[in-house]
Amino acid sequence: MHEAISAVLTISRWEVKRSLTTMGRNVLPVAALLFILLILATGFAQQQGVHLQDGMYAMATDSPDLAAVIAEDPRFRVTLVDANTIPPGGAFDLAVIGGRITVAKTDRAQAALAAFTRDYARYETWVYTRQDDLFAAYPLWIDEIPVKSELDFLATQQGQTVGALPRRGAPPVPEGTVEIVATPSASLSLSPDDLRGELAAGAAEDPQVSRYAGVLAADHSDLAFKTPSQLSPPLPFDSIILIFVFIFPLYFTSQFFMMSIMNERVDRKGEVLLTTPARPWQIIAGKALPYLALMVAVSLLLTLANGASMTIMLPLLPVILFFLAFALFIGMVSRSFKELSFLSIFFSTVATSYLFFPSIFANVHVISLISPLTLIVLQVQGEAVGAMEYFYATSLFWLTSAVLFALCTANFTEERLFTSTRLLSTVRAFVGSALSLRRPHLSVFLAAACTIPFVFMAQLMLLVVLFNLPMPLSLVTLLLGAACVEECAKAVPLYALARKAPGMLTWPRLATLGAAIALGFLAGEKALLFATLAQISESVFGAVLFTSLQALWFPLSLHFIGVFITGSAVMAGGRRALLPGILAASLVHSLYNLGIILGWAA
Amino acid sequence: MTLRHVALIARKELRGLARERTIVFAVLLQLFIAMFSSFLMVGLATLYDPDAVAGFSSTRYAVGYAGSDSALRELLEAGRDFRVYPMDLSTAVAALKERTLNAVIWVPATPPDAAEPVTITLYTVQNDIQASVVTVKIKGVLVDYEQELRAVRADRLTEQPVAVAVPASAGGENFYEFVFGLLIPLLVFMPAIISAALIIDLICEEYQHGTLETLMATPVTFGAMLWGKVAACLALVPVQAGAWLLLLAANGIAVENAVPILLHVTAGSLALILIGALCALHYRERTAAQFIFSTGIVVVVLVVLALPANPLNLIVLLAIGAIGAEHWLILAATAGGAALLACLTGRYADRVGGMRRDRILQEQR
Repeated sequence: MHEAISAVLTISRWEVKRSLTTMGRNVLPVAALLFILLILATGFAQQQGVHLQDGMYAMATDSPDLAAVIAEDPRFRVTLVDANTIPPGGAFDLAVIGGRITVAKTDRAQAALAAFTRDYARYETWVYTRQDDLFAAYPLWIDEIPVKSELDFLATQQGQTVGALPRRGAPPVPEGTVEIVATPSASLSLSPDDLRGELAAGAAEDPQVSRYAGVLAADHSDLAFKTPSQLSPPLPFDSIILIFVFIFPLYFTSQFFMMSIMNERVDRKGEVLLTTPARPWQIIAGKALPYLALMVAVSLLLTLANGASMTIMLPLLPVILFFLAFALFIGMVSRSFKELSFLSIFFSTVATSYLFFPSIFANVHVISLISPLTLIVLQVQGEAVGAMEYFYATSLFWLTSAVLFALCTANFTEERLFTSTRLLSTVRAFVGSALSLRRPHLSVFLAAACTIPFVFMAQLMLLVVLFNLPMPLSLVTLLLGAACVEECAKAVPLYALARKAPGMLTWPRLATLGAAIALGFLAGEKALLFATLAQISESVFGAVLFTSLQALWFPLSLHFIGVFITGSAVMAGGRRALLPGILAASLVHSLYNLGIILGWAA
Repeated sequence: MTLRHVALIARKELRGLARERTIVFAVLLQLFIAMFSSFLMVGLATLYDPDAVAGFSSTRYAVGYAGSDSALRELLEAGRDFRVYPMDLSTAVAALKERTLNAVIWVPATPPDAAEPVTITLYTVQNDIQASVVTVKIKGVLVDYEQELRAVRADRLTEQPVAVAVPASAGGENFYEFVFGLLIPLLVFMPAIISAALIIDLICEEYQHGTLETLMATPVTFGAMLWGKVAACLALVPVQAGAWLLLLAANGIAVENAVPILLHVTAGSLALILIGALCALHYRERTAAQFIFSTGIVVVVLVVLALPANPLNLIVLLAIGAIGAEHWLILAATAGGAALLACLTGRYADRVGGMRRDRILQEQR
């Protein structure tokens, strides 16, 4: 063990030394210069504001005061006109004459009106917060109390009213026990000065700046009481900032790792490493270690700089491993630099979306918990994150990283590293070399189980994308998509084996191998089910994604039929028949799922 | 260096892209992002503007009303959004937990003209999209109520803002500004960044795979090789950006001035591609060149965004049709800048290529 670790450390040292020499004299001074420029540019941009939406809207007004107020918003081009002249039609989106607003009949004008409304509200706040009698300017305060309901995700798709709407006139009568709710206090527990400070801070904030800077560190208004205009779900701009603050450096660093792997493959440079007594896992670990350390260090630094709690490293760690695992994989399968670029851009966009989009709903919906970033948002907001939430959000990241690392380790051989084939064939060959020909059934069983974390991730991604579509459409597309993902995943081990040992696949073998894959798939699903939120898996969407989890016999035969269809297609038509086979299997699968949902089976 | 050789190299690179099917990923990426923007549109629009999704507006939400009677109750009942049930607070909260109510409001007995504020308590379901929708709806009523109370207490105010009657129908436009003010400039400039990264790959590959020597042994000159690659990368930009605009049009987002936008993007990306080419010619190694280039691009984009009337702002104004013929001047300026960069790149390539030829000649002697 000691020797193994010292081998890993030696390779790490080589890696650091080599990247420092190649980067060395030429790159580091320029990089340092660029870094200084970057800081200067950030400062400049912060000071100047972002001029992306300048001059979008044209407004005319007869009030010099109002013109001055609105002109502070760069989105507006404000023209002061005489009260008696009617501004020519079409030249302005908005005209405010004598306190009355005229809006042109275009989308742009509607957008201008919305922007104006927000600016005007800010201006009103600015005037009102200067009043001596604060409660004359702000006579209404609201204490918002969230109530936990047991029926969370289950029945709220698309805002359909949940439960029976009470009949006209008669108030609803709760079925369960009624707990006594204490009568709220009729007075504010806060001093006017505290409230005034909070209001003024809200009004003084330039929305553009508050969007792009300082959100992470700023403690959000923790005052229990709000004015009506403050009452809306908080826009999670935090998560946008978080993406750039935390994910961007991770992505950047993983690029170096990816490139380092790729460089070993160019001109067979890595042959030297392979001839050392170090084993593949030691080489990979050794090469990854410096980048892992760098990523952790950068994240720690960012956490400290933002004054956030150290605990946000916990959800970040699986994300770091996930990025490294994919960097290793992409570095090992790309044929050329341009393929590397496209793959890495593609991966980073998909991964960033997976991390980012659910976290938009951090304050709103449980589905946000499938992203580890949501945990960070919650932690920054000062909410407690339990072990269960951590488990839900990160388990798929841990598992997919582990599977990918294992797969790449098994393929870190001369044969795989120095031959380049088409991407899909490479992936097939990768899976193929992880399969054992002596124990084909056991290996396809395990391989099928290992695809489950990826399948779940893809399906949750589909859920995130699709659950906002109108109801029947979202369900149908999800149904098809989920079935297709599962059939593809099951086809992977079978096809890899068939191509690895062409004579292996006979009809009886197909039956037994198909059964092994179906079993492995089912076992993986069962084992990972606890990793998905109960609220999701029990909803209508969950029924679509995880129908096969109900009884044992039905899903097992379904999975078997799916693999068998794909397998027969491949046996009959060769590799060209793979895609039609998968499609046919998906269709059967979807019909089965539809049947379950519509209650045909029952 | 002949034009024929340049075209030859450009065709070779484009064929290479097609053969590796890398371009498939670019297309997939476009579709993926388009899908997500539709997700954003529907999702965020529902969140922050309930009426954006049909069906919401016809629903009446059940609100439990507890505490003292007030003008707020009349306001809630006056609109068509709510069904108000006067109830006991504990019963109402229990009903809320079972979701037979959407929200519960408790109002104190504070008179409208009292010295102290009216402090009401609002109970909503935690962690739920529907609750957010209801909150947004109730917010509208509460804002009206606040205005009523403020009018009652108006004599206690020392200053009033300039009076403007803001129409109530302001909603759903978050979306317009997001699409035109953020998404479109981002999407049409993405192909530019991709192409600039691509040229680095193409040039570094020749160096790192040692294929440059073979290529130089043919009648193709170093310059022809470089410009062929630049042409291949540049040709991709209007195709990709145009595909974006078509996708947006398919989503029902009509972008104005599509042709000028494509011209601006192409001119701008020529500059970016040339910067990428310079990085690649200088470092001849992908890691270093990409690193320096991408850091440099972040700096450039930050500075550009901080300047008024920048190209991205111009794209926004063009897309919404809020700019006149003056954009042709800016296009000329961008094209001029790119041409200047092209001269610079040509000179540098000559020097690099010349040095290489000398070395080869020396070796041959």
